[in-house]
Amino acid sequence: MQNEIIFTILALITIVSSIVMISAHRPIDSALSFIVTLVSIAALFALVNATFLFVVQIIIYAGAILSLILFIIMFLNIKDSNLPDEKHKNRWLMGTSIIVAPFSYILIDLIMRSDIAVNGVASENFGTIKDVGLTLFSKWILPFELVSILLLVALVGSVTLSKKED
Amino acid sequence: MNTVLILLPLILTILFSLATVPILVWMERRVAALIQDRLGPNRCHINGIRLGGIIQSIADMMKLVFKEEFLPSHIKNKFYYLVAPSIAFMSAFLTFMVIPYADNITINDKTYYMQALPTDLGVLWFLAFAGLGVYGIILGGWASHNKYAILGSMRATAQVIGYEVAMGLSLVSMLITYGTISLNEMVTYQSQSFFIIPAWGIVIQPIATIIFIITAFAETNRAPFDAAEGESEIVAGYHTEYGAMKFGLYFVAEYIAMAASGALIVTIFLGGYQLPYLNTADLINNFELVLWLIIAFAVVTSLMFLKWMKSHNIYNTSGLDEKKVYATLIIGFTAFAILLMSYYALGFGHASAVGVMILQFAIFTVKLFFLHFVFIWVRWTLPRFRYDQTQKLGWNILLPLSLANIFITAIVVVGVNYGN
Repeated sequence: MQNEIIFTILALITIVSSIVMISAHRPIDSALSFIVTLVSIAALFALVNATFLFVVQIIIYAGAILSLILFIIMFLNIKDSNLPDEKHKNRWLMGTSIIVAPFSYILIDLIMRSDIAVNGVASENFGTIKDVGLTLFSKWILPFELVSILLLVALVGSVTLSKKED
Repeated sequence: MNTVLILLPLILTILFSLATVPILVWMERRVAALIQDRLGPNRCHINGIRLGGIIQSIADMMKLVFKEEFLPSHIKNKFYYLVAPSIAFMSAFLTFMVIPYADNITINDKTYYMQALPTDLGVLWFLAFAGLGVYGIILGGWASHNKYAILGSMRATAQVIGYEVAMGLSLVSMLITYGTISLNEMVTYQSQSFFIIPAWGIVIQPIATIIFIITAFAETNRAPFDAAEGESEIVAGYHTEYGAMKFGLYFVAEYIAMAASGALIVTIFLGGYQLPYLNTADLINNFELVLWLIIAFAVVTSLMFLKWMKSHNIYNTSGLDEKKVYATLIIGFTAFAILLMSYYALGFGHASAVGVMILQFAIFTVKLFFLHFVFIWVRWTLPRFRYDQTQKLGWNILLPLSLANIFITAIVVVGVNYGN
């Protein structure tokens, strides 16, 4: 019962803040409500005992990436006159959400039929550091290493690109 | 007893973070005065009792609380402006939650954790909330709508982003060494010793220790990395437009962040709540001997302190004779503590598990205050780094150094464990 109440509150915060994120006029409002979304998703992870996902969500997304985005927003010094006036924004949002609605019904139906909904309770080690580490480094070792090489290539590429300009 | 043991770490967290702020402010001023060869705060008093200047911190606090709340009229985003100091404060406070103040204690087959938040996340929790703290600074600077404030918050952001990388990497090498992320297990690891050297983090990983301490200074925006509030260039940086308790929250948050990183340094690198060569089981077995040593130490130090006070406390105030009050208090307190300890030391009491716990709190507190002293010592000794120097140090020196350290650590750890 307690868990359901907490889940409902967190889910509401997540949904409301993500709606604010896409409908806000100023970029800084969007960025800040995105932080709220990420933190409440992290709290949802914590609710299902996935402690590692919880803390990584906060460190990587809420802590590092979003502070970079905010940093850039502050650097650009956007004034209200620079922003496009989005006259029909609400109409667009309403229209697209009506179009998307049937697909989300299908998605919900799919989730309810799949194994996830049936076996609602995960194993005891789900989402703990040891479990995530063992899974990554035994079962998924090849994709994991390939992704890290991809990230390394991107890193080296950005350094070379920024060096060319001087 | 149950409730007390569960609430105890929470109360200690509040004591170590919020309640130590006036003491830290006092320490800051006294140590600054010591280093600059001045007297320090000594005028504020209540009926002749100055407490060596602590009354001054209390007076400052009262001033911040009772000052008029002022909202500059040019501020457009009042919500962000008002919420920013509390974000800084909250995240600094939350970092404290995972620090173990003593070993896990088992009474009547129930184990109690001496952490406010008994989680196995440990270091990661600290990194997460230390990273969130920067939003307080970014938002405060941005919402102040002031060039100096924006400059200050941009400096702070760039600095925190840069130094968080080096901090995380230096922690990775510690995680490889200890083989755990739980802070309590790290402290347990440090209770062993190689030959005659205690296996403290500072001994087995000196490079990671230095990198972590430097990055901790930068994370907390303290000198020599306080370019974010460099008063000689940008007035006061991100808190230029803040006054009264809104400024007070930033001020307190900085000290709490300093206390939290000090506590983390103690836990990871300085053996936490352990004395060298004595792990918790040894402490329980030799509890009486340790108590006798502490009694002897208490007698000697209080006598020395009384002698020192007689020759140095020459400031005359009207009202009470301060020296006499202090002397009576010190003698009374020491006598009480010695009586209490000798009750256990002579073997009358049997609550040795609780006794060891209290002893470990005391050891942790002493180490933590030593770290505070180091923080203040550095602030009043080193000049502020220029902004580009800060960035260069972070990216060009600390980052490669910590990467190399991880590499060497991994090779050594794998090599040592190869035979097993």
